[in-house]
Amino acid sequence: MTIHDPRRAGLHPAAEMYAAEHRAGRLSRREFLTRATALGVGSSAAFGLIGLPAPARAENHMPMGGTLRMEMETKALKDPRLADWSQIANFYRGWLDYLVQYEADGSITPMLLESWEANEDATQFTLKVRQGVTWNNGDPFTAADVVRNITRWCDGTVEGNSMAGRMSQLVDAETNMAREGAVEELDEMTVRLNLAAPDITVIVSMADYPAAIVHSSYESGDPSENPIGTGPYLPEVNEVGVRQVLVRNPDHQWWGTEVFGGPYLDRIEYIDYGTDPAAKLAAAESGEIDITYQTTGDFIDIFDAIGWQKSEVVTAATLAVRFNQDSAPYDNKDVRNALQMAVDNAIVLELGYNGRGTVAENHHVCPIHPEYAQIDPPVHDPAAAKALLDEAGFGNETFQLISIDDAWQAASCDAVAAQLRDAGIQVERQVLPGSTFWNDWLEYPFSATEWNMRPLGVQILGLAYKSGVPWNETAYSSEEFDTLLAEAMSLADVEARREVMAKMEKLLQDDGVLIQPYWRSLYRHYTDKVQGAEMHPTFEHHHYKWAIAS
Amino acid sequence: MIRFLLSRLLTLLVTAFALTFIVFFLTNLEPSLEKIAKSEIGTRVSDAEVESWLDRNGYGEPMLVRYGEWLGVVPGWTHTVDGEVVAGRCELPGGTVETSAFCGILQGDWGWSTVFRRDVAEIIGRSLALTGKLMFWVMMVMVPGALILGVLAGMREGSKLDRSLSTVSILTTATPEYVSGVVFIAVFASTAVGLRWFNGSATSAMEDATFENFTLPVLTIALYGMGYIARMTRASMTEVMTAQYIRTARLKGVSFPKIVLRHALRNALIAPFTVIMLQFPWLLNGVVIVETLFNYKGFGWTLVQAAGNNDIELLLGVSVVSVVVVLLTQLISDIGYVYLNPRIRVS
Repeated sequence: MTIHDPRRAGLHPAAEMYAAEHRAGRLSRREFLTRATALGVGSSAAFGLIGLPAPARAENHMPMGGTLRMEMETKALKDPRLADWSQIANFYRGWLDYLVQYEADGSITPMLLESWEANEDATQFTLKVRQGVTWNNGDPFTAADVVRNITRWCDGTVEGNSMAGRMSQLVDAETNMAREGAVEELDEMTVRLNLAAPDITVIVSMADYPAAIVHSSYESGDPSENPIGTGPYLPEVNEVGVRQVLVRNPDHQWWGTEVFGGPYLDRIEYIDYGTDPAAKLAAAESGEIDITYQTTGDFIDIFDAIGWQKSEVVTAATLAVRFNQDSAPYDNKDVRNALQMAVDNAIVLELGYNGRGTVAENHHVCPIHPEYAQIDPPVHDPAAAKALLDEAGFGNETFQLISIDDAWQAASCDAVAAQLRDAGIQVERQVLPGSTFWNDWLEYPFSATEWNMRPLGVQILGLAYKSGVPWNETAYSSEEFDTLLAEAMSLADVEARREVMAKMEKLLQDDGVLIQPYWRSLYRHYTDKVQGAEMHPTFEHHHYKWAIAS
Repeated sequence: MIRFLLSRLLTLLVTAFALTFIVFFLTNLEPSLEKIAKSEIGTRVSDAEVESWLDRNGYGEPMLVRYGEWLGVVPGWTHTVDGEVVAGRCELPGGTVETSAFCGILQGDWGWSTVFRRDVAEIIGRSLALTGKLMFWVMMVMVPGALILGVLAGMREGSKLDRSLSTVSILTTATPEYVSGVVFIAVFASTAVGLRWFNGSATSAMEDATFENFTLPVLTIALYGMGYIARMTRASMTEVMTAQYIRTARLKGVSFPKIVLRHALRNALIAPFTVIMLQFPWLLNGVVIVETLFNYKGFGWTLVQAAGNNDIELLLGVSVVSVVVVLLTQLISDIGYVYLNPRIRVS
């Protein structure tokens, strides 16, 4: 996996700076790894910079072959760039690879890229394409494929293409397409990205789940219909809501076998048990599955009790109990602030998620994000909240809080609602089934949405709170915030960025954008036989690492 | 007889027509259509985009016209861009669209499921096969069980055996599936009680049904119907046992087992036959609950998914099949009754 020599001249200067910050204790190991690898430093080299040995992977002892059965909601496939569910991506990951991959330890592994380098101020990235990669139809994988895919991502005219927001520095604001000259093919194996402004997130964004690399013959629609990809598996069964099966492609020499080892499994079956955790427990006790997609709430203890192995990962995943500022009465800032003030986040964590996480501060930036700034925590004062609400003229309003019927999300919203009632505010709860909830998740006036983590704090803010972006469910639109965000995106120096971040965090709190009670730890359980399938902070399934003992 | 059959067939058609029209009307209300559009093109789209998507995909026409298209009495919609047909209802395999062609249920085209991304006919075929398997085993358990219970209870009215069997059958029939199913899972399948005799999930039974993974769902449905049929059998049995020819047989000195088996049984089974046939519609009910509970992807589960996601054509398909199943079993029960009881004449 080593692709850079740490002693080699030309190591990105910012990486050295980050290493210094790490040694000074201002940067955690995870943060350091994310940021150094994003600048094009190999992960072994990055470990070397901070004087740690790179963790060795026990790949020699992995059992070959076998079938792994995992419980997962099997959703209808979409054009990868339109994918709005990790589950969708986890199925096409079988035959579609990514340019880079986010690891559970916070580092970034080069996949279809061999390496990349950023210039001094992070406005230009040079990407080296991996040698010797072929598509499963025999075509060689070249820089042209990379250029075509990045250009596809930049196409903001396609409804629901969330990659365009991630690649915003490559997009022409007028045409809403890739800017002329933004993505350059230097030679057959080299691509250069010319960013409009410095953007430190561009490489990390390529690890996000909609960024799967598709073949030139692919137009749009279900990618499993003609599964040409560079990955080691092929889709065998794709029955939405029932099951999805990946089988090892015997006619394709996967490039990663030399680099990482694997894949070990012959067959991966995803079986749909809906959203009810009790059904998943029944499946586990019946021996119908070997591993859960995710274990939540009370079921973590129950799965421990039936003797399954637990895998835990700390994340910046959260529940956003957000207001939609386009709907009355949530267009009134005092109403939003009052509702925030009536809720003690620690209690929501305790009641809604059994304390399995850390308390958050209503601004959606997590202490594990590199640029997190410590600001004053939100005030909890039920009496003042009620007074503020009365003053705004909404004292007798009945608020309706919507949530999905998923156990912990509903419980957390119940805890929010209970505290509002304690403060003398009238609240109704509405719980919608998973099949209908997501049809309108952006439009509900007051509801809770599950958010997965992103490696950098600026990413999540750019994805969800920037004016007019597709996933802006709060309808938050603040010019000041947008300007600060653009500034933060351009600051490679974490200290400088943290200062801007502090302002943004304060702005989000003051504007009463959301009640964001806690950061979740994520859990997964599996039988003793399963190996290499630890929980991943962004729910990514790295199939080639998985194995099962017979 | 022919007239009777024809009138029954007519009833079936009219019922199916009325039901599908109601379903069509409800699923095509404006908010429902908007929901479909949003689940297809993404959640955050403007009303104008929703409108244009609905137009492009044939939802723009008046409701009656579209109902006609689904029936196959109005030519399927087409969408043309610059004089070229780019999309339409009657799409042939390969992507070409027939213009002014009829492709509704009358032509055998059941439509397209938006949830499962398959032909409705394929989805219904798949789920009916699974539910058929479940129903077969339910019948195998329920019918003999109920008849034995009922006959044993009814042959000596008021005896201890009668009282205890009646209690059991009232208890099972008074316990709805959503209660008994959960209790069964807790007692027989979970580590909470520790018995773990059976599986609490029937997903693996879809491919390979075994005693372990299929017992609980079958038992849950069967017990509910069993109590009811047993009560009916018992009532009919006690009535027969007080009949004069039974008394005559007794006075003649025929042994009790012989009386029950040779003289009473055949006459006592006429009433339960109708009841058993009438159980089919109720079983469909139970199937919805049990299949969802045990995560068995048959007809009931499909109905829940279709309704939850406003999958119009799948819901219509499910309605048609349900009407046919219900009315057909009643028809069979009527005809069968005639053959079992010569005193009754059809028409």
